[in-house]
Amino acid sequence: MNRLHPLSAVTYALQYGFLWLSLAMVLTVVLGGVFDPIGSTWFLVAAPLGFVAGVAYGIAYYYRFEYGITPDTFDVSSGVVARRSREIPYERIQNVDVRQGVLQRLLGLAIVSLETAGGGTTEATLNFVSESEARRLQDRIRQRTAEMKERRRRREREAASEVEPSEPSEPTPDDERDAAEPVPGDETDTVEPSVPEPTPANESEPVAPEDRRERPPEPTRPRRQRLFDLEARELLLYSFTSFRPAAVATVLVVFFFATDLILELLVTIAQPFGGPEGIGEGTTASYGILTIVSAINGIIITYVLSVAYTFGTYYDFQLGRTGEDFVYERGLLQRYSGSIPVEKVQSVTVTANPLQRLIGYAGLWVETAGYGPDSNGGSQSAVPLAKQGRVHRFTENLTGVETPSFASPPPMARRRYLARYSIIATVIVAIFFGLSWITPFEAWYVSAIVFLAVPPAAHLKYVNLGYYVGEDHLVIRRGFWSRRTTVIPYYRIQTVNTRRSIFQRRLGLASLVVDTASSRTFFWTTPTIYDVDLEDARDVHTTGRKRLQSALRERARDDEMGLSVDFT
Amino acid sequence: MEALHPRIRLLWIAQAAITAIVLGVVLAAVDQWVVDVPTAIIAGVVAVGIVLGSAYAIRLYQVWRFEIQPDALYLERGVVTFVETAVPFVRVQHVDTQFGPIERALGLSSVVVYTAGSRNADVRIPGLTPDRARELQDTLRELAVESEADDAV
Repeated sequence: MNRLHPLSAVTYALQYGFLWLSLAMVLTVVLGGVFDPIGSTWFLVAAPLGFVAGVAYGIAYYYRFEYGITPDTFDVSSGVVARRSREIPYERIQNVDVRQGVLQRLLGLAIVSLETAGGGTTEATLNFVSESEARRLQDRIRQRTAEMKERRRRREREAASEVEPSEPSEPTPDDERDAAEPVPGDETDTVEPSVPEPTPANESEPVAPEDRRERPPEPTRPRRQRLFDLEARELLLYSFTSFRPAAVATVLVVFFFATDLILELLVTIAQPFGGPEGIGEGTTASYGILTIVSAINGIIITYVLSVAYTFGTYYDFQLGRTGEDFVYERGLLQRYSGSIPVEKVQSVTVTANPLQRLIGYAGLWVETAGYGPDSNGGSQSAVPLAKQGRVHRFTENLTGVETPSFASPPPMARRRYLARYSIIATVIVAIFFGLSWITPFEAWYVSAIVFLAVPPAAHLKYVNLGYYVGEDHLVIRRGFWSRRTTVIPYYRIQTVNTRRSIFQRRLGLASLVVDTASSRTFFWTTPTIYDVDLEDARDVHTTGRKRLQSALRERARDDEMGLSVDFT
Repeated sequence: MEALHPRIRLLWIAQAAITAIVLGVVLAAVDQWVVDVPTAIIAGVVAVGIVLGSAYAIRLYQVWRFEIQPDALYLERGVVTFVETAVPFVRVQHVDTQFGPIERALGLSSVVVYTAGSRNADVRIPGLTPDRARELQDTLRELAVESEADDAV
């Protein structure tokens, strides 16, 4: 078992020291209020005592935190008083992430976190190990996972080869379809009689020598291949064309904490344009100018922040492969690096917002079932931004999907959006009407202008919808502001749902929700084919189900990855 | 297609009634401490809540159907939004039987099927007799084991 980097003892000691110090202070204040004999002089004793105890606890925590690599699992045991030991099977590990903040980079430290599919949190966090140890762990875990996979595959192949002889040489597509529908009482079922009967000789074919064979000559560092580097031009384009909600949050938080200062600043900036002298001493017109100027200011600042944030996050983005894993690295101040086993990729999504579409660029994301370092769940950017043609080629190489020819929902759907957006517009007008009653603002009817936006909005929503039922994949496109085209291999489907609201039922429409094991995300909804004819929805529903079964069968037989790692 | 046990209507009506009564209590509290709310309105809200809830429960019972198909568990349900769900057996992670206090009083039980999906990750079939629930759980478990796929998530 290994310990963390000695410097983490210092940080744990300080962390717990200050935590317990503040606890001791709060406790004396609270108890002092209850019991008279406890006075303020107790502070002088309690505070250092708490600090010392905290430091001791922090150091004990460091000494009681151990991790290790065993042949089958990654083990972590921790806890000073209550012990917890956790064993994570390599096969369950989704990705291994390495994170480095500015200070940690200076000190040569890194935080390693392991993600698995289950649970809502990171499975294990090593806070901190040295940079080289982080890299070693990442490599070793990847290597072990690959070994496990290889071993399992070999075992399956052996099991399969025992069955083979009694099976017809190469099943024709027709046979396959029959096999895909296990109809009870189907007499032509050829697979049935060939139930594998493992002979004792084969069964006991020892695992041990195989094990020895499997073990590689110790630290062979897997070779790393470049797949994609984000060039300076692409990075700049990406920064300027994408928008991060985090920027809005930052601006709001700053505004909340320095409201007065910022208000003053806004008033000063608005003055040359005819804004009021100060708050509470202007006319209606000057207030209007102040509002408009401040709004423009706010938008510019948020945008600049968003650009800076994207730039910092995706600076020097590199995607590579090691064995059958994607590995990526990025970040200006805080450096992230992570690995995604190709086997764990659930679906692939091409994104492009209107600006990016205008300049002919797009991004490529892969979704896994784990939790990534970003707020976007298990979505990882594989190619942040590149020319549209390139991204499409990447997607086709990666998934093997044919160039999709999208089908549109029936025009009836557009009518639905027209009605929906009209309702929203009506609500907006109603709100303005209500405002005119309680504020001096009277021209509420001006807000009826929003109705002008309804037809184009409905049209844009409609034209961006599309779906394609491919040979091995389902492709779903939706969204105007952030258009996402998701490629779902049939073998990744978890459940299929056909949904019909009362409005859809009246129009004979339905939406098909295709669920995969990608993480639940806040911004990205489950891939859905919206508002197609009920009949089409049912067709896709059945097709999806059928192809899931045949694809799984095929995968088990051919033992293929489904995705090709060298996609660039 | 199999329907749920008719007693499930009682459960849903009871749930609606409880919700309506809680709403009534909240309104009474508002009446007491914030603004006057006429007693007639409180009574009306509770009554309307119970009536709507009952109608919803009866309609939901009418549309709820499920079936074990060759490759998947298939369900149909929903009053406002009608949903047809297929849960392929290969995707079943585990199967639970559960019952709450009211369900237990009514002699009912639910089967919950878990998948690794993100939305609708757990599919619940309510309103089964305990025997039927156990039987269904066993069937589903067997089918899930039989059709196990090794593409781990």
